[in-house]
Amino acid sequence: MAVTIQAPAPRAVPVPKHPRWSLGTPFSYMAAIVVGGITLVPILYVVVSGFRTPAQINTSPVAWPRPWVFTNYSSILSSSMFWHYVGNSLFIAVVATALTATTGSLAAFALARYSFKGRDALFALFMVGLLFPAGVAALPLYLWLKDLGLLENLMGVALPEAAFSLPYTIFILRPFLRAVPGELEDAAVVDGASRLRFFRTVLIPLSMPALTTVSILTFITSWNAYLLPLLVFNEPVHYTLPLGTASFQSTYSQNTAAILAFAALSMVPALAFFVLAERRIVGSLTGAVKG
Amino acid sequence: MASNQITVTGSLATSSRTDGSTPTGRTAVVRPVRRPRNLRRTFELTLLIGPALLLFTCFVLVPIVVAVRYSLYNWSGYGPLSDFIGLHNYRVALDDPVFRGAILHNFIFAALSIVFQLPLSLGTAMLLNRRLRGQRIFRLVTFAPYVVSEATTAVIWSLMLQPGGFIDVLMKDIGLGGLIQTWLANIHLVLYTLFVVITWKYIGFGIILFLAGLQGVPLELKEAAALDGATATQSARHVTIPLLGPTIRIWVFLAVIGSLQLFDLVWIMTYGGPANASTTMVTYLIYNGFQSTEFGYGSAAAVILFILCFMFALIYQRFALRRDTAGALTSMVG
Amino acid sequence: MQRFRKPTRLVVSGLTFLTLVAAGTSTASAAANHSALKAPDATVTLTWWNNATSGDLLTVFNNAAKAFHAANPGVVINNVPIQNEVLQNTKIPLALEGNNPPDIFQQWGGGREGTEVTSGKLMDMTAASASWIKSEVGAVASGWAVKGKQYGIPYDLHVVGFWYRKDLFAKAGITSTPTTMTELNSDVAKLKAANIAPVAVGSKDRWPDAFWWEYFALRECSLATLKTAMSTINLNYPCFVKAGQDLTTFIKTNPFNTGYLATPAQTGAGSSAGLVANGQAAMELQGDWDPGVMQPLTTNKNILNEIGFFPFPAVTGGAGNPTEVLGGGDGFSCSTQSTMYCPEFLKYIDSTPVQIQIAGANVGLPVNAAAASAVKVPAAKDAISFYKNAAYLQTYFDVAFPVNVGNAIDSAIANFFAGAGTPQSIIQAVAQAAKTA
Repeated sequence: MAVTIQAPAPRAVPVPKHPRWSLGTPFSYMAAIVVGGITLVPILYVVVSGFRTPAQINTSPVAWPRPWVFTNYSSILSSSMFWHYVGNSLFIAVVATALTATTGSLAAFALARYSFKGRDALFALFMVGLLFPAGVAALPLYLWLKDLGLLENLMGVALPEAAFSLPYTIFILRPFLRAVPGELEDAAVVDGASRLRFFRTVLIPLSMPALTTVSILTFITSWNAYLLPLLVFNEPVHYTLPLGTASFQSTYSQNTAAILAFAALSMVPALAFFVLAERRIVGSLTGAVKG
Repeated sequence: MASNQITVTGSLATSSRTDGSTPTGRTAVVRPVRRPRNLRRTFELTLLIGPALLLFTCFVLVPIVVAVRYSLYNWSGYGPLSDFIGLHNYRVALDDPVFRGAILHNFIFAALSIVFQLPLSLGTAMLLNRRLRGQRIFRLVTFAPYVVSEATTAVIWSLMLQPGGFIDVLMKDIGLGGLIQTWLANIHLVLYTLFVVITWKYIGFGIILFLAGLQGVPLELKEAAALDGATATQSARHVTIPLLGPTIRIWVFLAVIGSLQLFDLVWIMTYGGPANASTTMVTYLIYNGFQSTEFGYGSAAAVILFILCFMFALIYQRFALRRDTAGALTSMVG
Repeated sequence: MQRFRKPTRLVVSGLTFLTLVAAGTSTASAAANHSALKAPDATVTLTWWNNATSGDLLTVFNNAAKAFHAANPGVVINNVPIQNEVLQNTKIPLALEGNNPPDIFQQWGGGREGTEVTSGKLMDMTAASASWIKSEVGAVASGWAVKGKQYGIPYDLHVVGFWYRKDLFAKAGITSTPTTMTELNSDVAKLKAANIAPVAVGSKDRWPDAFWWEYFALRECSLATLKTAMSTINLNYPCFVKAGQDLTTFIKTNPFNTGYLATPAQTGAGSSAGLVANGQAAMELQGDWDPGVMQPLTTNKNILNEIGFFPFPAVTGGAGNPTEVLGGGDGFSCSTQSTMYCPEFLKYIDSTPVQIQIAGANVGLPVNAAAASAVKVPAAKDAISFYKNAAYLQTYFDVAFPVNVGNAIDSAIANFFAGAGTPQSIIQAVAQAAKTA
């Protein structure tokens, strides 16, 4: 997604093709393989173990499936409860991410580029949310959600999750939004655009890497959230994937293989979201040449 | 990489005010007419910040304030809030050697993060920022652990770290069998074992954050440095890393706060044990507070945690982050 | 399936019963006669929170709910199984703190129940159960009474003892199970000589450690001291210090599996139950649920026949009676908002036919003596006969005490296992926690 504009005039002096950097490239590959291997192996372990039986796992915890058993994955994929869990998790994560991204970027814009009394205090107020462990607010939050009638309701999870994601969203976005030069803004205003229009048409596209980053973080935090859905939902049909995993684990408690298969399947949507979104991190800034 | 190109916009990094100076080319403009502008500005600001503030107050601030109130009572969670004991819970918590130990453990995690995870994430991001084949796959792979839930991470690693499990087998195979320990049962090692697992999980977060930041480091600068004869490492040290300053400072902040609030992974892998060797402040307050029907006490421990985080945030903001965010850009609104 | 016998006495309508119960007056017990199962005006749905998330017990409970509904068409029981730790630590406390507790929920009795009663949301079932509790449940029901009132009713019992591999004992040359600590120590030595890990313990979860110390306490303390200590929540007696010293001596003989400090009790093949199930350890001190827990952790289809039971041995010079038993049980409580059908449902659960099914589920011993013969696992049968002849049944301390004291003592004992803390520190932990109990 790189945008390059070919300039007609060639350089007068030929630029060396980064001679010093070619030494680093094999080193890069090696380091990438090592880091990649370390991060990948435990995950592969989960995925592959899903193809074994508990008996296989108990006798030899680490080995390839012998034989490959597909029933774990197939029975989970064909159970309607699993898709309920996926649907619930998806709805909540999308709503929370959308809410956080919009309200958070608007607020970060104001906190980054406007100067007004109490700006720092307001920023500090948002940061307070970062500093308090969510688990502690659980009881008051539960009682408050009950009063609002939001128990057993997907929004009862999405809204607090969006709220708890605001602090780090604003925290990460603010410097990025700040860093866009004032000249651009001046130019936009001279052209007759309002600040909000400037925000929408210039600032947001330029901050895509940061915006995508915070969206990914919010999505995944929501996807993996356990405590809040645990408090809000009692009906299994409302469960999100982590709750479903825990419930599955407790029902099939000793079937390690099926549990690992379930865990592997739970990772897929979040990984898919990341794959789709990560192009934006590196590809959208014009002027950068990337593969 | 020496293709002809024109940058359409100035890169982020060259304009960030890392040195706190005013941007070049801008002069202070005096606005003679203020009053109508103020109203409009207030309206704009309300529109911009209002929704976030409403959401935040409603679902974060209110529960926190209520939790602080609980901390002043001896309350089992059942029945009314009737036994007001003031700061007694705080005294008991600070007197408890287990809680003090938990605070120490959290700070150890924070320090270890900065010493080990920062160079690892930064270095890996810089390596992955090149034009490598399959680099998208590498990015996906290194980020995957972040996507896995903490519960699943705890289950996988507990399986791998048990006596005779994957790690022990691997070490035997590569000849390091003599160094095998009971990773999670050894009270001296358990904290560091947990740190390894945490690093595995969160390195992806650091990598994408730094990758995002690296996009703002313009190629021309690196090319210029190369022209001047800088090696890759020199270029990294004197060009890239300083320009990554703001991103690094964000990472450090989030990493320290994350270390202070560590819970899920520790809870499931070790339950804070053995003998409280891996207790963190949050595992302490969940076990001794909420699980023991001592809501007041748990809330007090949480407030202490909050105060520690707050102090760190204040100091950090004052010394490290201030120069990233001084002044205003949108001077049109004064 | 059994039809309910409807008493011909005068019946107080369900609504009045509810009002009286809600008023919370003690005259409720006098005024509310035994409720016949008068059909409700509109369908009543009772939400039932229990920890039977898997296995045979889940089937038993599902069947019980269906059968009760069939006998009482106006009443629907909605079975909601929830994982045990989540249920105990999060779901039930939260529900009792809010205003919407489930109608029927798991109840472990003791001081834990005492704390829950302070919420004012538990139904006093003294009157509702008076007619059948002695015949169906017996004396153990007192473990679920708070200040003499029946706020909970048990459905199964648990006994803590040693569950061991008969084949591994034979392999090590042990011909008879130990009856004294001296014999146990020598058996441990024999197992080590045969290269078998003698004892597995799920120290990570803390409560399995507590069984050890508590049994030493039972053996060292006279019954009078024990009872006083439990009721006053004060363990400051020399026999409890002695218990700690006994435990230290035992731990010093190095009897446990490698890495026992991080071994969980029940999850997966690496748990203490899994180790015994797969022959990697010879025995563990656990509750009678252990054979049922071991069964799915191994491919050995014959495991249930290979497990044996022996009680905690006698300690030389101890003032306690060696037939005293540490144990507990499971039960249910009703919320004040559930109807009279709730205690009726509990009566059904404790009736012989359902108790026979529960006995067959290998999760515990039935409270109803008539169902005792339905226990199939050989080792569990031994546990039952030991329990029947016990001089006294002491509830495990973390249930007998209020919740915060229970957590404190489990934690202190676990530290002790890891070599931190002294015999006194266990006593002090209880004293400290008792202040805010």
